[in-house]
Amino acid sequence: MNTEKATLKDGRTIEFVHDQPRSGTMKEVYFTPDRKSVVCFYKDPCAGSDANRLQRLQMILGAYNPTLPQSHGGAAQNDIEADYYRKLFCWPTGIVVQPRFGLVTPAYPSNFFFPTGPVWLKGEEKNGMWFIGPKNRKWFEKNQPSELGSLIQHFSLCLQIARAVARLHNAGLAHSDLSHNNVLIDPSKGMSIIIDIDSLVVEGLFPPDVLGTKGYIAPEVLSTIQLDLKDPKRKNPNARTDQHALAAFFYWYLLGRHPLDGRRIPPGNTAEEQDLLAFGSQAIFCEHPSDSSNRPEEKQYVPCSALGPLLYDLFIRAFVKSLHSPSDRPTALEWVRGFVKTWDLLIPCSNSSCLHKWFVFHNSTDIRCPFCGTRFKGTIPFLKLRAESRPGQWAMDGQLAVYNQLPIFKWHIYSRVFPSPETDRTRQAYCVFHEGKWFLVNEKLTSLTSPGGNRVPPGQAVELKDGAQIRFSQEHNGRIAEVQMIRS
Amino acid sequence: MSMGRRLPVYLLLDTSGSMSGEPIEAVRQGIKALLSDLMSEPTARETVYLSVITFSSSAQQIVPLTELMSFQEPSLDANGSTAFGDALKVLEQCMDREVVKATSTTQKGDWKPLVFIMTDGQPTDSWESVADHIKQKKLGNVIACAAGPGADENMLKKVTELVVKLNSLQPEALKAFFKWVSDSIKTTSQSVAQVAADTPIGLPKPDPNNMIIVL
Repeated sequence: MNTEKATLKDGRTIEFVHDQPRSGTMKEVYFTPDRKSVVCFYKDPCAGSDANRLQRLQMILGAYNPTLPQSHGGAAQNDIEADYYRKLFCWPTGIVVQPRFGLVTPAYPSNFFFPTGPVWLKGEEKNGMWFIGPKNRKWFEKNQPSELGSLIQHFSLCLQIARAVARLHNAGLAHSDLSHNNVLIDPSKGMSIIIDIDSLVVEGLFPPDVLGTKGYIAPEVLSTIQLDLKDPKRKNPNARTDQHALAAFFYWYLLGRHPLDGRRIPPGNTAEEQDLLAFGSQAIFCEHPSDSSNRPEEKQYVPCSALGPLLYDLFIRAFVKSLHSPSDRPTALEWVRGFVKTWDLLIPCSNSSCLHKWFVFHNSTDIRCPFCGTRFKGTIPFLKLRAESRPGQWAMDGQLAVYNQLPIFKWHIYSRVFPSPETDRTRQAYCVFHEGKWFLVNEKLTSLTSPGGNRVPPGQAVELKDGAQIRFSQEHNGRIAEVQMIRS
Repeated sequence: MSMGRRLPVYLLLDTSGSMSGEPIEAVRQGIKALLSDLMSEPTARETVYLSVITFSSSAQQIVPLTELMSFQEPSLDANGSTAFGDALKVLEQCMDREVVKATSTTQKGDWKPLVFIMTDGQPTDSWESVADHIKQKKLGNVIACAAGPGADENMLKKVTELVVKLNSLQPEALKAFFKWVSDSIKTTSQSVAQVAADTPIGLPKPDPNNMIIVL
């Protein structure tokens, strides 16, 4: 193995294998001998002499770094948080000064490369375009459907992206180039990882050096692209444009079409001119409630309302109300909440060959999977979760559609618990369908109380019947679940 | 980023007698490598359509504009003279027939085509007026490659501003050229610059050992 040594800014040295590098647009990438890290050299020979870039990288590696605990000069509260965000970001770990200017970053985890497939696929990175591009998608549906994952895994990876971006924004950072190229996804495991962290934007301090990627650039950026770089009217990437990119990615990925790519063709002599308008100043949501001019080209399509009322509201806000008024866009944290709450409405599709395998429950007499059209037949216990907002007042603050083996976690039990990196993820109870009846089986709850007022100790179960009220916990913030049996 | 739009790519390859032997074999390998590189790039798989036009004593389109996944490598033979003018005429006819115009009312128009021209010698037919026509009408983003010592880069400047010079016809140099073509296609299929109507496309830096950009 032909290895070479690189010297880092902090004086450490690192070995890398000097063979044919993987080549990106900005960098050349070499593995370390253990293949756990990569050394990336900037192609631009002047990259190292850019004082602004150097200062930015030092901040990114240190004070802004959510994968490094505060005790080590990073931004993570503790080791748990640092470990958690290390799974969501491929965050640089060192600045290389010799033999050339570059970075050390962890290698992408192996599940973000295709393990099998034809020569053109095997070993390639799981760039999002493999899954959102219609031709690519069709190929996977036919040849390697296991790579596509189910809706529950789609939700899982979207939630991770939203959490990661929320973490950046919370620290005053913006990614500035969120796209299928900079977010690797593994739908088969429901995982995502944000890469290319080195061009993060700090508003007012470090300006963006990229405009973004086609399909994710916010309308205000595209419509001012012709202006001079120094023109104050020119809009550049920031946290609000990240919010647009985030919404566009979720919509594109979950529904298989771009939110602004409908049948409307704006005036223009070339495709380039037309798309500059279609994604810029004249952008119109393809599902706009009152303007139908830009509907999707397909006759039949799954509308975003199929993803439940919370995500529907977020999409409408992102692409109708705030498409051209950036300050009202849904925040990454609102998407986190939207996915967490909608997760509780996912139920399995009864069609065993349905590719999505899950869909978002909607309370109606005709419950169908919107993706394959299969009608659901059977009973769904639907739990309305209530919390005591003021003494004696129980307000609904959650919903849970029950399926066989549904796990119940602390964030269902207590109204003040929201799933976060540090939340206890131990299953507290679960629901089963047994001999024609539905039960909630207690595992960890110390004060689960039946509708009749009796304690249900761990190991025992309480039946879910229409109208029943079950108190998950007598503790402060413990919720009550009100059961509604829905037959379809 | 409309998914309905295609990126047409035309390769105009000189297959005159001077290319026979090692050079034409290197071109074959180059096309093979180009295809395999683009096949692994998910955005290119969605948008790129490829055509090959060869020219020797006359020019012909040997592969019509074809979706990447259905593209079959053509068989190439080198002999005859260098009908460069004919090649440009065939190019114009093919683009006229195959590229969907933005003014189409039934489907979304194609992106501006990318045209790569590679020649190793002097034209043997008349070519100036058609070259002028292609340059004036900006029918595509044309990149011309003067391959080896016998090619005239100043002549190619009459077709396009974007000219590269390949220092030899050695397999290594041709390999570097096709790698650069592949990188250029990938960059164009993703670049933002292309979104802005009339800005020149941003091309990757060529391999300095084998190629230079002629300014």
